[in-house]
Amino acid sequence: MTPAKNPLTTATAGSAARRRKSAPEANNGKDGSVMTRFYGTPLPGVKPEELSGNLIVVEGTDGSGRSTQISLLTEWLESEGFAVETMGLRRSFLVGEDIDALLAENAVTRLTLALMYSTDFYDQLERRILPALRSGLIVLADRYIFTLIARAAVRGIGRDYLHGIYEIALRPDLTFWLDVRPEVAFDREFKKSQTISYWESGRDMSLSNDLFQSFIRYQSMIKREFEYLSKRHGFLEIDGEASVPEVNRQLRKRIASHLGIRGTHYRPSHALAHLWR
Amino acid sequence: MATSTPDISVVPQAAPEQAAPAKREFPGALVVVEGIDGSGKSTQLYLLKRWLEIGGYRIHFTEWNSSPLVKSATRRGKQRRLLTPTTFSLLHAADFADRCERQILPLLHGGYLVLADRYVYTAFARDAARGCSPHWLRNLYSFAPVPDITFYFRAPLDVAVNRITAGRPKLKYYEAGMDLGLSLDRAESFRIFQDRILNNYDQMVETDNFVLMDGTMRVNRLQKVMRTLLADRVELNRFAPKKKK
Repeated sequence: MTPAKNPLTTATAGSAARRRKSAPEANNGKDGSVMTRFYGTPLPGVKPEELSGNLIVVEGTDGSGRSTQISLLTEWLESEGFAVETMGLRRSFLVGEDIDALLAENAVTRLTLALMYSTDFYDQLERRILPALRSGLIVLADRYIFTLIARAAVRGIGRDYLHGIYEIALRPDLTFWLDVRPEVAFDREFKKSQTISYWESGRDMSLSNDLFQSFIRYQSMIKREFEYLSKRHGFLEIDGEASVPEVNRQLRKRIASHLGIRGTHYRPSHALAHLWR
Repeated sequence: MATSTPDISVVPQAAPEQAAPAKREFPGALVVVEGIDGSGKSTQLYLLKRWLEIGGYRIHFTEWNSSPLVKSATRRGKQRRLLTPTTFSLLHAADFADRCERQILPLLHGGYLVLADRYVYTAFARDAARGCSPHWLRNLYSFAPVPDITFYFRAPLDVAVNRITAGRPKLKYYEAGMDLGLSLDRAESFRIFQDRILNNYDQMVETDNFVLMDGTMRVNRLQKVMRTLLADRVELNRFAPKKKK
């Protein structure tokens, strides 16, 4: 990685970022404390005390099983009587399609792309997620600011700069990290689409002409960023290589205790049975 | 060679040796104009640009919010009034980042005199008037190179507002700051909004080394002042056409 020269350059990830199972920061906001619901100054016009819902984030690289788990968790929570709203990357009305177009062209520079993603993030947060939280819904986020920070950081944009952009964002009640090795992620992604995409393999970074090598090196860099972020933000780490039912059981257990749900028994409906393996 | 009354039809032959310029990161130079709508800044920068162009100088002119990159998003957001202070600010930052990384920085490294009609200070003044945190805004734009000179065109609120409202049939929703709910009357909302922006600009005069320009002066006289100040501050012959030997 390049040496620090300006606000956009970043030092290498804390290589000694030791993983922890416990999550000191993850419970922030549980007690309704106003100060901890945002990382810094809240978004303009937002009253933290009005947000009665819960924000639960599932993070992980491509092929970590996030989307599968979010589908299952949504069904489980709905069956328990909780209304659920979801968010994810490139799903904003404002710029979701514009980002798709930029990615297809791949002429966009790293900083512009990072800022378009942050626009996409805040459009969803302000116009969909905060109203949902005001109404007491459970929001399941399929990725959050952490993926956005990690992707930009490995491309040389400073971590402090990135944290500054997201300091007005809402702090999640719980942040899960489904951790998988890049090799496992490769197998899963390849099985899914019979190929590996340009961005998933970080080809814009010229890491290797060999797609497998490029994918592994890129995803390893992302994983290192997550290790650093996990330490900084107190992720709840889950072994994403375990079976779907096992990962789901661990997620339900932690969420149930946070929301005060007593039983955590769950079997997917017929519609989702194909995911349960 | 800042003579007291330079002939404005003549491109000055670079300023004489002055105090050694600060150590530079790149061979180019960045000239910025700022000020509220109707302060006369765009007219003055246009005249400055024409003067340098006619003289054959290596220049590039760039405007705030001009890239096709975010046009569709901005249009969508404005038409349907979806923009919040935060997304409004971020879209403009994305647009500026694109211009900065693909135009301004390469040109500065390539030794151009870059003329910018509005710069990051527009975002600092306007987005803070919308309620964004100044601290957050400063961080957001911390990648932008610091200008060699920033001309701040200042005109009294009434003068500026009259120039704008006289020339325009209808003020646009965001332009008038209608999203802030300051007033139901567009003209009144615009006035209050511009007043806030003006105050924010005024506060940056010291912190950001603005060169104060009197926007009520006659156009040609003000242009004369601007050319003199530029020649004082920026070593113009670095950008002059090469003489054939």
